[in-house]
Amino acid sequence: MLLCDFHIHTSYSDGSVELRKTIDLFGQAGFDVIAITDHVVSRETTYGKLANRFRFSIQEDNFDAYLEHISEEGKRAWDRYEMLVLPGVEITKNSFSSNQSAHVLLIDIKTFISASWDFEKIFLEAKKQNALIVACHPHHSSELTVVDTLYLWNHRKKYARYIDAWEIANRDDVFNVISLKKYPYIAGSDFHKVRHLYSWKTMLNCEKEIEAIKRCIRYNRGVAITLFRNGVPF
Amino acid sequence: MESHFKSRGRKGTDIFWVISSLSILGLIICGLQILAVRSFMRDGRQSRGTENETEFHPPISILKPLHGLDDHLYGNLESFCLQDYPEYEILCCFEDHNDPAYRVAQNIKNKFPKRSISLIVEGKDAGLNPKVNRLIPGYQRAQYPYLLVSDSNVMVTPDYLKQIIRPMQDPHTGLVTNLIRGVGAKTIGSLFENLHLNSFILGNVCFLKKFFNIPCVIGKSMLLRRDDLESIGGFEAFKDLLAEDHFIGERIRKRGQKVILSSSMVNNVNEYWGLNKFWNRHLRWGKIRWKVMGYKYIFEVMINPVFLSFFSFIVEGPSSRVLMLIASVGFIKGAGDYYIGKKIDARLHPLGYLLSPIKDLLIGLIWFLSIANDTVVWRGRRFLIKENTVLSPCPKKGIWAWRYRVMDWTRSKLAW
Repeated sequence: MLLCDFHIHTSYSDGSVELRKTIDLFGQAGFDVIAITDHVVSRETTYGKLANRFRFSIQEDNFDAYLEHISEEGKRAWDRYEMLVLPGVEITKNSFSSNQSAHVLLIDIKTFISASWDFEKIFLEAKKQNALIVACHPHHSSELTVVDTLYLWNHRKKYARYIDAWEIANRDDVFNVISLKKYPYIAGSDFHKVRHLYSWKTMLNCEKEIEAIKRCIRYNRGVAITLFRNGVPF
Repeated sequence: MESHFKSRGRKGTDIFWVISSLSILGLIICGLQILAVRSFMRDGRQSRGTENETEFHPPISILKPLHGLDDHLYGNLESFCLQDYPEYEILCCFEDHNDPAYRVAQNIKNKFPKRSISLIVEGKDAGLNPKVNRLIPGYQRAQYPYLLVSDSNVMVTPDYLKQIIRPMQDPHTGLVTNLIRGVGAKTIGSLFENLHLNSFILGNVCFLKKFFNIPCVIGKSMLLRRDDLESIGGFEAFKDLLAEDHFIGERIRKRGQKVILSSSMVNNVNEYWGLNKFWNRHLRWGKIRWKVMGYKYIFEVMINPVFLSFFSFIVEGPSSRVLMLIASVGFIKGAGDYYIGKKIDARLHPLGYLLSPIKDLLIGLIWFLSIANDTVVWRGRRFLIKENTVLSPCPKKGIWAWRYRVMDWTRSKLAW
């Protein structure tokens, strides 16, 4: 089984660890596949404007450099750790209301997709690029400091057909509603700090190859989740 | 009333000068430690430069007890696969397959298919020392006459095996060990850890060797002959000791063999430690020294001039001379640590040394707590430490058993 984490942020957005160090951290811990998914924040709200102003978001002008850096580090990760690194982004639409907020991972994207577009346009463009679409932390989270992102879950009838998988577990939370609806699922750390390495992860039973991984997640066969810990009791 | 204040002031002044003298004495000892480190580094360079390449390259079995994900584990294991040495095997020992380190070791084995790497999984419960429990199955399966015990957080250079085996040409040598250098700090806990390894631990080991010819055995890297180990009872004889490395060295010396400090250093990679990990490790090591050294441990505070100088603050409060004393001692000690760091190529940012006095204050507290408490938490289990670091389980019944439960409860609440 491949040990995978498809939800990782670096200092390209609001993560505290640089890309190179992030890759080393996961490589040293024996991961097989990771996706770097820094935020692309919608500019529609005040929060979004501030995030873009202070560079807590990937923007159109640095997107190519971001992809190139991931590709460079991906080669190094493969040579050194035999770890596959996928490029991605987290489309971030934040609002003061949980019901209007939504985050979506687009994994293996090739060209910039703006978070200011409406969801239908984002999903269609992502499909065109054969990117994997994952709705992340779709239900109530246990963290008091974050605003829940419920929009996609509340509009699941409209959007579920576009979404390849839903995050059934994110960092320390488990969203049992995904299981009840029998949606395809993965788990991710939503890595921002080093301690987030120890969190929910995805295990895949497939080849360590990008198309096989996407197929495995879309068909949701051979997918398992595991709570990754460092093995040393507290 | 006036005479009362006068006598109190005189008493405070007397104590201030006593504390100042002790702090200066502490700084002198630290200066001697620096001389010892310098001398060790110079001798090491000379011996590496003058000794010709020898043909003494007997096969070695490397025993790696693994548990959990240490910082830089992949790179540490990889460094052992890249040794410039003709014949050796690596035995990675685990308690169970679910240990995350197993996966990392498996990846390393796949990456180096030509290397002899064995993953040994055996939930041996021979004794109370979990490291020795893992070493025993590896020792039983080791093929070669030389055994190298190496911790999981150690990273070495490609000539490590050639360097460590050299002293074994002398048949009177019983054990070879290495100095350790803390590297790679990226958090405050790791920074404290590396500062402490590179000043206090390194300085003391060199000081004791240079001025008293007492070699300290560091279990992170120790090489010995299988025959010698068997003659002192094998690892089984140390299964209930917390300081198994120290007592292996002691028994080897009692047999009339030499314990040698190798001329090369090994890196101990500590990248992402929290303060709690630093605190727990040095509390454990402090207790080991207390149980091994007995009353002599009390004098260890003399090697911590920053902590000593801080007593003047407690006695006299924040007067200008007190603050001057603390600042001067802290500055000189920090500068000394920086000098050692440069000498050993610790690759630590110079600003990191500004935190050295704070680390020394914490170590002072640890020194005191090591004497005050006789239990240790290791790998999640609490043990009682008795004479010579013999471990025993904490009693679950009896009049005093409640205090262990309180300690465990507090620890779980603090997640330490």
